[in-house]
Amino acid sequence: MEKDQTGVFKLVDGLKPVDAKALAAFEREMTEEAIPEMIKEVEKRRMLAAESRHRQLEMPIVDKPEPTKE
Amino acid sequence: MYTWMPITSTADLAKLVQHISPEYAPAAVAKRLENGLSEAVKAILIERNYIDKDYRSTYYNFYVKKGRRYRADCVRIHFFDGTVSFDDKVLALSSNDQRLTDHYYGFMVLRPTGIATIGRSVVTPDVRRGASRFIITADHKVHLLGHKLTIRGFPSMDQHIDISVCAHATCWSILRHYSERYNAYSEFLTHDITLMAQQFDPGGLVPSRGLALSHAERVFQEADTYPIIVARDIKNPGDLSFYRQLTAYVDSGFPLFAAMHNKGHAMAVVGYEWRAPLNTALPGMRYSWDEVKTLAVVDDNHLPYLSIPVDGGTYSAKDIDAFIVPLPEKVFYPADAFDKLVPKLFKLGTVIQLPPQNETIIRYFITTGSAFRTFVRNRQSEFDPKLLEAIMKLPFAQFIWIVEFATEAQWAVNQISARAVIDATASLTESYPFWIFHGREEALIFGRESVDLNLQTGMGVLNMAAMGHTGFTRMDTNLRPTQSK
Repeated sequence: MEKDQTGVFKLVDGLKPVDAKALAAFEREMTEEAIPEMIKEVEKRRMLAAESRHRQLEMPIVDKPEPTKE
Repeated sequence: MYTWMPITSTADLAKLVQHISPEYAPAAVAKRLENGLSEAVKAILIERNYIDKDYRSTYYNFYVKKGRRYRADCVRIHFFDGTVSFDDKVLALSSNDQRLTDHYYGFMVLRPTGIATIGRSVVTPDVRRGASRFIITADHKVHLLGHKLTIRGFPSMDQHIDISVCAHATCWSILRHYSERYNAYSEFLTHDITLMAQQFDPGGLVPSRGLALSHAERVFQEADTYPIIVARDIKNPGDLSFYRQLTAYVDSGFPLFAAMHNKGHAMAVVGYEWRAPLNTALPGMRYSWDEVKTLAVVDDNHLPYLSIPVDGGTYSAKDIDAFIVPLPEKVFYPADAFDKLVPKLFKLGTVIQLPPQNETIIRYFITTGSAFRTFVRNRQSEFDPKLLEAIMKLPFAQFIWIVEFATEAQWAVNQISARAVIDATASLTESYPFWIFHGREEALIFGRESVDLNLQTGMGVLNMAAMGHTGFTRMDTNLRPTQSK
Protein backbone atom coordinates (compact mmCIF):
# COMPACT_ATOMS: atom_id res chain seq x y z
CA MET A 1 0.00 0.00 0.00
CA GLU A 2 3.01 2.32 -0.40
CA LYS A 3 1.90 3.62 -3.80
CA ASP A 4 -1.45 4.88 -4.98
CA GLN A 5 -2.81 4.92 -1.47
CA THR A 6 -6.54 5.48 -1.28
CA GLY A 7 -9.19 5.88 1.38
CA VAL A 8 -8.12 5.78 4.98
CA PHE A 9 -4.59 4.64 4.00
CA LYS A 10 -3.99 8.06 2.46
CA LEU A 11 -5.00 9.70 5.73
CA VAL A 12 -3.08 7.66 8.31
CA ASP A 13 0.52 6.37 7.98
CA GLY A 14 1.41 2.81 8.94
CA LEU A 15 -1.97 1.19 8.30
CA LYS A 16 -2.08 -2.36 7.05
CA PRO A 17 -5.00 -4.05 5.31
CA VAL A 18 -7.23 -6.18 7.53
CA ASP A 19 -7.60 -9.85 6.73
CA ALA A 20 -11.20 -10.09 5.52
CA LYS A 21 -11.46 -13.58 7.02
CA ALA A 22 -10.87 -12.11 10.50
CA LEU A 23 -13.91 -9.89 10.03
CA ALA A 24 -16.21 -12.52 8.59
CA ALA A 25 -17.68 -13.73 11.89
CA PHE A 26 -18.32 -10.17 13.05
CA GLU A 27 -19.91 -9.11 9.79
CA ARG A 28 -22.12 -12.20 9.64
CA GLU A 29 -23.37 -11.68 13.21
CA MET A 30 -24.01 -8.01 12.54
CA THR A 31 -26.06 -8.57 9.39
CA GLU A 32 -27.85 -11.74 10.47
CA GLU A 33 -28.45 -11.01 14.18
CA ALA A 34 -27.45 -7.64 15.59
CA ILE A 35 -28.91 -5.26 13.00
CA PRO A 36 -32.33 -7.01 12.76
CA GLU A 37 -32.46 -7.13 16.59
CA MET A 38 -31.53 -3.45 16.84
CA ILE A 39 -34.26 -2.47 14.41
CA LYS A 40 -36.74 -4.57 16.41
CA GLU A 41 -35.58 -2.99 19.67
CA VAL A 42 -35.86 0.56 18.31
CA GLU A 43 -39.38 -0.21 17.06
CA LYS A 44 -40.36 -1.67 20.44
CA ARG A 45 -39.06 1.43 22.25
CA ARG A 46 -40.97 3.63 19.83
CA MET A 47 -44.19 1.81 20.74
CA LEU A 48 -43.47 2.08 24.47
CA ALA A 49 -42.74 5.80 24.07
CA ALA A 50 -46.02 6.30 22.20
CA GLU A 51 -47.94 4.58 25.03
CA SER A 52 -46.25 6.71 27.68
CA ARG A 53 -46.90 10.06 25.98
CA HIS A 54 -50.37 10.63 27.39
CA ARG A 55 -49.80 9.57 30.98
CA GLN A 56 -50.41 12.48 33.36
CA LEU A 57 -47.65 14.04 35.42
CA GLU A 58 -48.70 16.20 38.29
CA MET A 59 -48.22 15.91 42.00
CA PRO A 60 -51.25 17.40 43.77
CA ILE A 61 -50.24 19.92 46.42
CA VAL A 62 -51.72 17.77 49.18
CA ASP A 63 -49.21 15.06 48.26
CA LYS A 64 -46.17 17.30 48.30
CA PRO A 65 -43.89 16.02 51.06
CA GLU A 66 -42.75 18.20 53.91
CA PRO A 67 -38.99 18.71 53.98
CA THR A 68 -37.38 15.87 55.86
CA LYS A 69 -33.86 15.06 56.96
CA GLU A 70 -32.18 13.61 53.88
CA MET B 1 -31.45 46.46 51.38
CA TYR B 2 -28.56 44.11 52.20
CA THR B 3 -28.16 42.07 55.38
CA TRP B 4 -25.12 39.95 56.25
CA MET B 5 -25.96 36.88 58.31
CA PRO B 6 -23.02 34.86 59.71
CA ILE B 7 -23.75 31.15 60.16
CA THR B 8 -21.94 29.30 62.92
CA SER B 9 -24.16 26.22 62.73
CA THR B 10 -27.03 25.16 60.49
CA ALA B 11 -29.40 26.07 63.34
CA ASP B 12 -28.54 29.73 62.61
CA LEU B 13 -30.39 29.42 59.32
CA ALA B 14 -33.62 29.78 61.29
CA LYS B 15 -32.65 33.45 61.77
CA LEU B 16 -33.74 34.08 58.18
CA VAL B 17 -37.20 34.56 59.68
CA GLN B 18 -35.95 37.68 61.48
CA HIS B 19 -34.73 39.29 58.28
CA ILE B 20 -37.14 38.25 55.56
CA SER B 21 -40.82 39.15 55.25
CA PRO B 22 -43.32 36.26 55.78
CA GLU B 23 -44.62 36.38 52.21
CA TYR B 24 -41.29 34.83 51.15
CA ALA B 25 -41.95 31.94 53.59
CA PRO B 26 -38.50 32.22 55.25
CA ALA B 27 -39.30 29.56 57.86
CA ALA B 28 -39.96 26.91 55.22
CA VAL B 29 -36.88 28.02 53.27
CA ALA B 30 -34.71 27.86 56.39
CA LYS B 31 -35.97 24.35 57.14
CA ARG B 32 -35.15 23.21 53.60
CA LEU B 33 -31.64 24.72 53.83
CA GLU B 34 -31.03 23.28 57.29
CA ASN B 35 -31.80 19.81 56.01
CA GLY B 36 -29.65 19.96 52.91
CA LEU B 37 -26.78 22.44 53.13
CA SER B 38 -23.39 21.49 54.54
CA GLU B 39 -21.61 23.25 57.39
CA ALA B 40 -19.27 24.86 54.83
CA VAL B 41 -21.77 27.69 54.35
CA LYS B 42 -20.62 30.26 56.90
CA ALA B 43 -22.47 33.37 55.80
CA ILE B 44 -25.56 34.45 53.90
CA LEU B 45 -26.00 37.81 52.23
CA ILE B 46 -29.69 38.76 51.95
CA GLU B 47 -30.40 40.98 48.94
CA ARG B 48 -33.85 42.60 49.01
CA ASN B 49 -35.79 44.32 46.18
CA TYR B 50 -34.25 41.93 43.70
CA ILE B 51 -35.85 41.90 40.25
CA ASP B 52 -35.96 38.32 39.07
CA LYS B 53 -36.73 37.79 35.38
CA ASP B 54 -38.37 34.41 35.92
CA TYR B 55 -40.66 35.60 38.69
CA ARG B 56 -41.47 38.77 36.72
CA SER B 57 -42.56 36.61 33.75
CA THR B 58 -45.19 34.99 35.98
CA TYR B 59 -45.98 38.27 37.75
CA TYR B 60 -46.78 40.16 34.53
CA ASN B 61 -48.78 37.28 33.08
CA PHE B 62 -50.56 35.91 36.12
CA TYR B 63 -50.08 37.37 39.59
CA VAL B 64 -50.81 40.96 38.56
CA LYS B 65 -54.18 39.84 37.20
CA LYS B 66 -55.31 38.51 40.58
CA GLY B 67 -57.48 40.40 43.07
CA ARG B 68 -54.99 39.69 45.82
CA ARG B 69 -51.94 41.97 45.67
CA TYR B 70 -48.56 40.37 45.10
CA ARG B 71 -45.22 42.16 45.33
CA ALA B 72 -43.24 42.58 42.15
CA ASP B 73 -39.84 42.09 43.74
CA CYS B 74 -38.00 39.10 45.15
CA VAL B 75 -35.37 38.43 47.77
CA ARG B 76 -32.11 36.80 46.71
CA ILE B 77 -29.92 35.06 49.24
CA HIS B 78 -26.24 34.32 48.54
CA PHE B 79 -24.08 31.67 50.22
CA PHE B 80 -20.40 32.19 51.15
CA ASP B 81 -17.64 30.40 53.01
CA GLY B 82 -16.02 31.68 56.22
CA THR B 83 -13.30 33.73 54.54
CA VAL B 84 -15.64 36.36 53.08
CA SER B 85 -16.57 39.50 54.97
CA PHE B 86 -19.10 42.24 54.31
CA ASP B 87 -18.70 45.93 55.07
CA ASP B 88 -22.22 47.29 55.45
CA LYS B 89 -21.01 50.91 55.42
CA VAL B 90 -19.71 50.72 51.86
CA LEU B 91 -21.70 47.61 50.86
CA ALA B 92 -18.57 45.74 49.81
CA LEU B 93 -17.70 42.06 49.91
CA SER B 94 -14.09 41.03 50.33
CA SER B 95 -11.88 38.01 50.82
CA ASN B 96 -8.19 37.87 51.72
CA ASP B 97 -7.16 36.46 48.36
CA GLN B 98 -9.39 38.84 46.36
CA ARG B 99 -10.90 35.81 44.59
CA LEU B 100 -14.48 36.16 45.75
CA THR B 101 -15.80 33.62 43.22
CA ASP B 102 -13.70 30.89 44.85
CA HIS B 103 -15.57 31.47 48.11
CA TYR B 104 -19.05 31.77 46.62
CA TYR B 105 -21.46 28.83 46.85
CA GLY B 106 -24.40 30.20 44.87
CA PHE B 107 -27.75 31.91 45.27
CA MET B 108 -31.43 31.28 45.79
CA VAL B 109 -34.24 33.64 44.75
CA LEU B 110 -37.28 33.79 47.03
CA ARG B 111 -40.61 34.72 45.46
CA PRO B 112 -43.29 36.74 47.32
CA THR B 113 -45.96 34.11 46.76
CA GLY B 114 -46.50 32.80 50.29
CA ILE B 115 -46.13 29.15 49.31
CA ALA B 116 -43.52 27.35 47.21
CA THR B 117 -41.37 30.47 47.37
CA ILE B 118 -38.02 29.08 46.23
CA GLY B 119 -37.42 30.50 42.77
CA ARG B 120 -34.45 30.47 40.41
CA SER B 121 -31.51 29.00 42.28
CA VAL B 122 -28.02 27.89 41.39
CA VAL B 123 -26.04 26.34 44.22
CA THR B 124 -22.80 24.39 43.93
CA PRO B 125 -23.12 20.63 44.57
CA ASP B 126 -20.05 21.00 46.81
CA VAL B 127 -22.18 22.33 49.68
CA ARG B 128 -25.11 19.94 49.18
CA ARG B 129 -25.05 17.32 51.88
CA GLY B 130 -24.93 13.84 50.31
CA ALA B 131 -24.50 15.05 46.71
CA SER B 132 -23.44 12.40 44.21
CA ARG B 133 -19.90 12.28 42.84
CA PHE B 134 -20.55 13.39 39.25
CA ILE B 135 -22.97 16.22 38.37
CA ILE B 136 -23.87 17.95 35.09
CA THR B 137 -23.10 21.64 35.58
CA ALA B 138 -22.64 24.93 33.74
CA ASP B 139 -21.17 28.26 34.75
CA HIS B 140 -23.75 30.90 35.72
CA LYS B 141 -22.81 34.57 35.99
CA VAL B 142 -23.99 36.49 39.04
CA HIS B 143 -23.81 40.28 39.40
CA LEU B 144 -23.74 41.35 43.03
CA LEU B 145 -22.75 44.74 44.47
CA GLY B 146 -20.48 45.45 41.53
CA HIS B 147 -18.80 42.07 41.74
CA LYS B 148 -19.06 39.69 38.82
CA LEU B 149 -19.23 36.21 40.34
CA THR B 150 -19.48 32.79 38.71
CA ILE B 151 -21.20 29.77 40.15
CA ARG B 152 -20.95 26.30 38.65
CA GLY B 153 -24.09 24.27 39.23
CA PHE B 154 -27.42 23.13 37.86
CA PRO B 155 -30.44 25.48 38.02
CA SER B 156 -33.46 24.60 40.14
CA MET B 157 -36.72 26.11 41.41
CA ASP B 158 -39.93 25.09 43.14
CA GLN B 159 -43.03 24.74 41.02
CA HIS B 160 -45.43 27.69 41.46
CA ILE B 161 -48.22 25.16 42.13
CA ASP B 162 -50.99 27.37 40.72
CA ILE B 163 -49.59 28.12 37.27
CA SER B 164 -46.74 25.65 36.96
CA VAL B 165 -46.26 22.10 38.18
CA CYS B 166 -43.25 19.89 38.76
CA ALA B 167 -42.97 19.08 35.06
CA HIS B 168 -42.72 22.78 34.14
CA ALA B 169 -40.08 23.34 36.83
CA THR B 170 -38.11 20.37 35.47
CA CYS B 171 -38.32 21.64 31.87
CA TRP B 172 -37.23 25.08 33.06
CA SER B 173 -34.20 23.66 34.93
CA ILE B 174 -33.01 21.67 31.93
CA LEU B 175 -33.55 24.47 29.43
CA ARG B 176 -31.88 27.07 31.64
CA HIS B 177 -28.89 24.73 31.90
CA TYR B 178 -28.84 24.46 28.09
CA SER B 179 -29.04 28.23 27.53
CA GLU B 180 -26.18 28.85 29.97
CA ARG B 181 -24.04 25.94 28.79
CA TYR B 182 -24.47 26.16 25.01
CA ASN B 183 -24.68 29.29 22.85
CA ALA B 184 -27.04 27.56 20.43
CA TYR B 185 -30.00 27.58 22.84
CA SER B 186 -32.22 30.52 23.79
CA GLU B 187 -33.25 31.42 27.31
CA PHE B 188 -36.86 30.68 28.27
CA LEU B 189 -38.56 32.18 31.31
CA THR B 190 -40.97 30.32 33.57
CA HIS B 191 -44.08 31.68 31.88
CA ASP B 192 -42.69 30.94 28.40
CA ILE B 193 -42.41 27.29 29.39
CA THR B 194 -46.00 27.02 30.61
CA LEU B 195 -47.08 28.32 27.19
CA MET B 196 -44.69 26.14 25.19
CA ALA B 197 -46.33 23.05 26.64
CA GLN B 198 -49.60 23.85 24.87
CA GLN B 199 -50.59 24.27 21.23
CA PHE B 200 -52.36 27.52 22.10
CA ASP B 201 -52.53 29.83 25.13
CA PRO B 202 -55.18 28.19 27.30
CA GLY B 203 -55.29 31.15 29.69
CA GLY B 204 -55.95 31.12 33.40
CA LEU B 205 -54.65 28.21 35.41
CA VAL B 206 -55.04 25.64 32.66
CA PRO B 207 -51.30 25.05 32.15
CA SER B 208 -51.05 23.55 35.62
CA ARG B 209 -54.14 21.40 35.37
CA GLY B 210 -52.49 18.24 34.31
CA LEU B 211 -49.42 17.83 32.21
CA ALA B 212 -48.58 14.71 30.24
CA LEU B 213 -45.22 13.51 28.98
CA SER B 214 -46.23 14.68 25.49
CA HIS B 215 -46.50 18.26 26.82
CA ALA B 216 -42.97 18.12 28.21
CA GLU B 217 -41.78 16.67 24.89
CA ARG B 218 -43.43 19.62 23.17
CA VAL B 219 -41.60 22.10 25.43
CA PHE B 220 -38.25 20.62 24.39
CA GLN B 221 -39.22 20.63 20.71
CA GLU B 222 -40.24 24.30 20.95
CA ALA B 223 -36.86 25.02 22.55
CA ASP B 224 -35.08 23.72 19.41
CA THR B 225 -33.79 20.51 20.96
CA TYR B 226 -34.54 17.08 19.49
CA PRO B 227 -36.21 15.20 22.34
CA ILE B 228 -36.37 11.43 22.48
CA ILE B 229 -38.77 9.67 24.84
CA VAL B 230 -37.50 6.39 26.29
CA ALA B 231 -40.11 4.42 28.24
CA ARG B 232 -39.57 1.42 30.48
CA ASP B 233 -41.28 -1.81 29.52
CA ILE B 234 -43.69 -2.04 32.47
CA LYS B 235 -44.41 -5.68 31.67
CA ASN B 236 -40.73 -6.49 31.98
CA PRO B 237 -39.50 -5.57 35.48
CA GLY B 238 -35.96 -6.51 34.49
CA ASP B 239 -35.84 -3.98 31.65
CA LEU B 240 -32.18 -3.16 32.20
CA SER B 241 -31.81 -1.72 28.72
CA PHE B 242 -33.93 1.23 29.89
CA TYR B 243 -31.55 2.00 32.76
CA ARG B 244 -28.46 1.44 30.61
CA GLN B 245 -29.75 4.08 28.23
CA LEU B 246 -30.54 6.39 31.13
CA THR B 247 -26.96 6.08 32.43
CA ALA B 248 -25.50 6.52 28.94
CA TYR B 249 -27.32 9.79 28.33
CA VAL B 250 -26.55 11.23 31.79
CA ASP B 251 -22.92 10.17 31.35
CA SER B 252 -22.99 12.09 28.07
CA GLY B 253 -23.84 15.30 29.93
CA PHE B 254 -27.51 15.43 28.88
CA PRO B 255 -29.85 16.11 31.82
CA LEU B 256 -32.96 13.94 31.64
CA PHE B 257 -36.59 14.83 32.22
CA ALA B 258 -37.56 11.78 34.28
CA ALA B 259 -41.19 10.76 34.79
CA MET B 260 -42.51 8.75 37.71
CA HIS B 261 -46.10 8.07 36.76
CA ASN B 262 -46.79 6.03 39.89
CA LYS B 263 -46.05 9.17 41.92
CA GLY B 264 -47.46 11.59 39.35
CA HIS B 265 -44.16 13.39 39.48
CA ALA B 266 -41.27 14.55 37.32
CA MET B 267 -37.70 15.62 38.07
CA ALA B 268 -34.38 16.06 36.31
CA VAL B 269 -31.66 13.43 36.52
CA VAL B 270 -28.36 15.35 36.53
CA GLY B 271 -25.67 13.00 37.80
CA TYR B 272 -24.64 9.76 39.42
CA GLU B 273 -22.17 8.09 41.73
CA TRP B 274 -20.43 4.76 41.15
CA ARG B 275 -20.57 2.16 43.89
CA ALA B 276 -17.29 1.20 45.56
CA PRO B 277 -15.27 -1.27 43.45
CA LEU B 278 -15.93 -4.90 44.28
CA ASN B 279 -13.18 -7.05 45.78
CA THR B 280 -14.33 -10.17 43.97
CA ALA B 281 -15.17 -10.18 40.30
CA LEU B 282 -18.78 -10.92 39.50
CA PRO B 283 -19.36 -13.36 36.65
CA GLY B 284 -20.65 -12.12 33.32
CA MET B 285 -20.35 -8.96 31.24
CA ARG B 286 -21.62 -5.86 33.05
CA TYR B 287 -22.63 -2.37 32.02
CA SER B 288 -21.90 0.92 33.76
CA TRP B 289 -25.50 0.94 35.05
CA ASP B 290 -24.57 -2.12 37.16
CA GLU B 291 -21.91 0.00 38.84
CA VAL B 292 -24.19 2.96 39.68
CA LYS B 293 -24.90 3.50 43.38
CA THR B 294 -27.03 6.65 43.30
CA LEU B 295 -28.56 9.07 40.83
CA ALA B 296 -28.46 12.82 41.45
CA VAL B 297 -31.84 14.44 40.83
CA VAL B 298 -33.17 17.98 40.81
CA ASP B 299 -36.60 17.53 42.35
CA ASP B 300 -38.64 20.58 43.27
CA ASN B 301 -39.64 19.02 46.58
CA HIS B 302 -36.04 19.07 47.76
CA LEU B 303 -32.87 21.10 47.50
CA PRO B 304 -31.07 20.27 44.23
CA TYR B 305 -28.74 17.28 43.83
CA LEU B 306 -30.77 14.90 45.95
CA SER B 307 -29.15 11.46 45.80
CA ILE B 308 -31.59 8.63 45.25
CA PRO B 309 -30.58 4.97 45.40
CA VAL B 310 -30.80 2.66 42.44
CA ASP B 311 -33.35 0.54 44.26
CA GLY B 312 -35.13 0.29 47.62
CA GLY B 313 -36.79 2.77 49.92
CA THR B 314 -39.69 5.04 49.08
CA TYR B 315 -37.88 6.96 46.35
CA SER B 316 -35.44 5.31 43.99
CA ALA B 317 -34.40 5.05 40.34
CA LYS B 318 -36.84 2.16 40.00
CA ASP B 319 -39.69 4.70 40.26
CA ILE B 320 -38.60 6.24 36.94
CA ASP B 321 -40.67 4.71 34.15
CA ALA B 322 -39.89 7.08 31.28
CA PHE B 323 -37.51 9.87 30.47
CA ILE B 324 -37.02 12.51 27.83
CA VAL B 325 -33.52 13.30 26.64
CA PRO B 326 -33.32 16.64 24.79
CA LEU B 327 -30.64 15.82 22.24
CA PRO B 328 -28.84 18.05 19.76
CA GLU B 329 -29.78 17.54 16.13
CA LYS B 330 -27.02 15.29 14.90
CA VAL B 331 -27.35 12.20 17.08
CA PHE B 332 -28.91 9.56 14.85
CA TYR B 333 -27.44 6.32 16.18
CA PRO B 334 -29.75 5.45 19.09
CA ALA B 335 -28.71 4.24 22.53
CA ASP B 336 -31.27 1.42 22.07
CA ALA B 337 -28.83 -0.25 19.68
CA PHE B 338 -25.94 -0.75 22.09
CA ASP B 339 -27.34 -3.71 24.02
CA LYS B 340 -27.34 -5.63 20.74
CA LEU B 341 -24.17 -4.15 19.26
CA VAL B 342 -21.79 -4.46 22.21
CA PRO B 343 -21.75 -8.29 22.56
CA LYS B 344 -20.97 -8.54 18.83
CA LEU B 345 -17.94 -6.25 19.18
CA PHE B 346 -16.14 -9.08 20.97
CA LYS B 347 -16.12 -10.91 17.62
CA LEU B 348 -13.50 -8.36 16.58
CA GLY B 349 -11.30 -9.81 19.31
CA THR B 350 -9.54 -11.70 16.52
CA VAL B 351 -8.15 -8.36 15.32
CA ILE B 352 -8.02 -6.31 18.54
CA GLN B 353 -7.04 -7.64 21.91
CA LEU B 354 -10.05 -7.31 24.22
CA PRO B 355 -10.58 -8.56 27.76
CA PRO B 356 -12.67 -11.77 28.05
CA GLN B 357 -16.31 -10.84 27.45
CA ASN B 358 -17.54 -12.28 30.74
CA GLU B 359 -14.98 -10.23 32.69
CA THR B 360 -15.68 -6.89 31.03
CA ILE B 361 -17.48 -3.79 32.23
CA ILE B 362 -18.93 -1.77 29.34
CA ARG B 363 -19.57 1.95 29.44
CA TYR B 364 -20.96 3.96 26.53
CA PHE B 365 -21.78 7.64 26.15
CA ILE B 366 -21.89 10.51 23.65
CA THR B 367 -19.29 13.24 23.40
CA THR B 368 -18.10 15.60 20.69
CA GLY B 369 -15.20 14.85 18.38
CA SER B 370 -13.43 17.95 19.65
CA ALA B 371 -13.90 16.96 23.33
CA PHE B 372 -12.46 13.55 22.52
CA ARG B 373 -9.44 15.09 20.78
CA THR B 374 -8.89 17.41 23.78
CA PHE B 375 -9.07 14.43 26.14
CA VAL B 376 -6.52 12.50 24.05
CA ARG B 377 -4.23 15.51 23.64
CA ASN B 378 -4.13 15.97 27.42
CA ARG B 379 -3.03 12.33 27.79
CA GLN B 380 -0.99 11.93 24.63
CA SER B 381 1.75 9.92 26.35
CA GLU B 382 -0.77 7.06 26.70
CA PHE B 383 -1.20 6.77 22.93
CA ASP B 384 1.01 5.39 20.19
CA PRO B 385 1.89 8.37 17.92
CA LYS B 386 0.26 6.65 14.93
CA LEU B 387 -3.04 6.25 16.80
CA LEU B 388 -2.76 9.84 18.00
CA GLU B 389 -2.30 10.92 14.38
CA ALA B 390 -5.40 8.98 13.33
CA ILE B 391 -7.50 10.54 16.13
CA MET B 392 -6.38 14.01 15.11
CA LYS B 393 -6.85 13.48 11.36
CA LEU B 394 -10.10 11.54 11.04
CA PRO B 395 -12.95 13.84 10.01
CA PHE B 396 -15.27 13.00 12.93
CA ALA B 397 -18.88 14.12 12.78
CA GLN B 398 -19.71 16.62 15.55
CA PHE B 399 -20.97 13.89 17.90
CA ILE B 400 -19.50 10.47 18.55
CA TRP B 401 -20.45 7.55 20.74
CA ILE B 402 -17.62 6.15 22.85
CA VAL B 403 -17.72 2.54 24.05
CA GLU B 404 -15.16 1.71 26.74
CA PHE B 405 -14.10 -1.81 27.76
CA ALA B 406 -12.60 -2.34 31.22
CA THR B 407 -11.73 -5.28 33.41
CA GLU B 408 -12.86 -5.20 37.03
CA ALA B 409 -9.32 -4.28 38.13
CA GLN B 410 -9.10 -1.48 35.55
CA TRP B 411 -12.55 -0.16 36.46
CA ALA B 412 -11.44 0.21 40.08
CA VAL B 413 -8.62 2.56 39.03
CA ASN B 414 -10.47 4.50 36.29
CA GLN B 415 -8.73 2.71 33.44
CA ILE B 416 -9.88 0.86 30.33
CA SER B 417 -8.46 -1.78 27.96
CA ALA B 418 -10.07 -0.72 24.72
CA ARG B 419 -12.25 1.95 23.20
CA ALA B 420 -14.57 2.09 20.19
CA VAL B 421 -15.37 5.45 18.63
CA ILE B 422 -18.69 5.23 16.81
CA ASP B 423 -20.15 7.79 14.43
CA ALA B 424 -23.26 9.22 16.14
CA THR B 425 -24.62 10.06 12.69
CA ALA B 426 -24.30 6.44 11.50
CA SER B 427 -27.29 4.48 10.31
CA LEU B 428 -28.64 1.59 12.33
CA THR B 429 -28.15 -0.70 9.34
CA GLU B 430 -24.37 -0.22 9.10
CA SER B 431 -22.16 -3.18 10.01
CA TYR B 432 -19.22 -0.83 10.56
CA PRO B 433 -20.50 2.38 12.20
CA PHE B 434 -16.99 3.05 13.58
CA TRP B 435 -14.29 5.65 13.25
CA ILE B 436 -11.79 3.84 15.47
CA PHE B 437 -11.67 0.69 17.56
CA HIS B 438 -8.47 0.41 19.53
CA GLY B 439 -6.98 -1.77 22.22
CA ARG B 440 -3.49 -1.48 23.68
CA GLU B 441 -1.69 -3.28 20.85
CA GLU B 442 -3.84 -2.83 17.75
CA ALA B 443 -6.24 -0.26 16.37
CA LEU B 444 -8.77 -0.55 13.57
CA ILE B 445 -9.15 2.71 11.67
CA PHE B 446 -12.17 3.23 9.44
CA GLY B 447 -12.62 5.58 6.51
CA ARG B 448 -16.15 6.91 6.20
CA GLU B 449 -15.72 8.96 3.03
CA SER B 450 -17.83 6.57 0.97
CA VAL B 451 -21.16 4.85 1.64
CA ASP B 452 -19.73 1.78 -0.08
CA LEU B 453 -17.16 0.51 2.45
CA ASN B 454 -14.34 -1.33 0.70
CA LEU B 455 -12.77 -3.62 3.28
CA GLN B 456 -9.40 -3.41 1.49
CA THR B 457 -9.12 0.38 1.25
CA GLY B 458 -11.75 1.65 3.66
CA MET B 459 -10.32 0.20 6.85
CA GLY B 460 -6.91 -0.72 8.14
CA VAL B 461 -5.15 -2.00 11.20
CA LEU B 462 -2.37 -0.27 13.13
CA ASN B 463 0.10 -2.32 15.15
CA MET B 464 1.08 -0.14 18.05
CA ALA B 465 4.10 0.07 20.31
CA ALA B 466 3.63 -0.73 24.00
CA MET B 467 3.22 2.56 25.81
CA GLY B 468 4.22 1.23 29.21
CA HIS B 469 0.88 1.54 30.98
CA THR B 470 -1.64 -0.97 32.28
CA GLY B 471 -4.61 0.74 30.67
CA PHE B 472 -5.88 3.95 29.10
CA THR B 473 -7.53 6.57 31.28
CA ARG B 474 -11.33 6.35 31.42
CA MET B 475 -12.88 9.41 29.76
CA ASP B 476 -15.08 11.04 32.37
CA THR B 477 -14.91 14.66 31.33
CA ASN B 478 -18.60 15.28 30.58
CA LEU B 479 -19.63 15.74 34.23
CA ARG B 480 -18.07 17.71 37.07
CA PRO B 481 -16.67 15.78 40.04
CA THR B 482 -18.20 17.04 43.28
CA GLN B 483 -15.71 18.28 45.89
CA SER B 484 -17.76 18.03 49.05
CA LYS B 485 -17.09 20.80 51.55
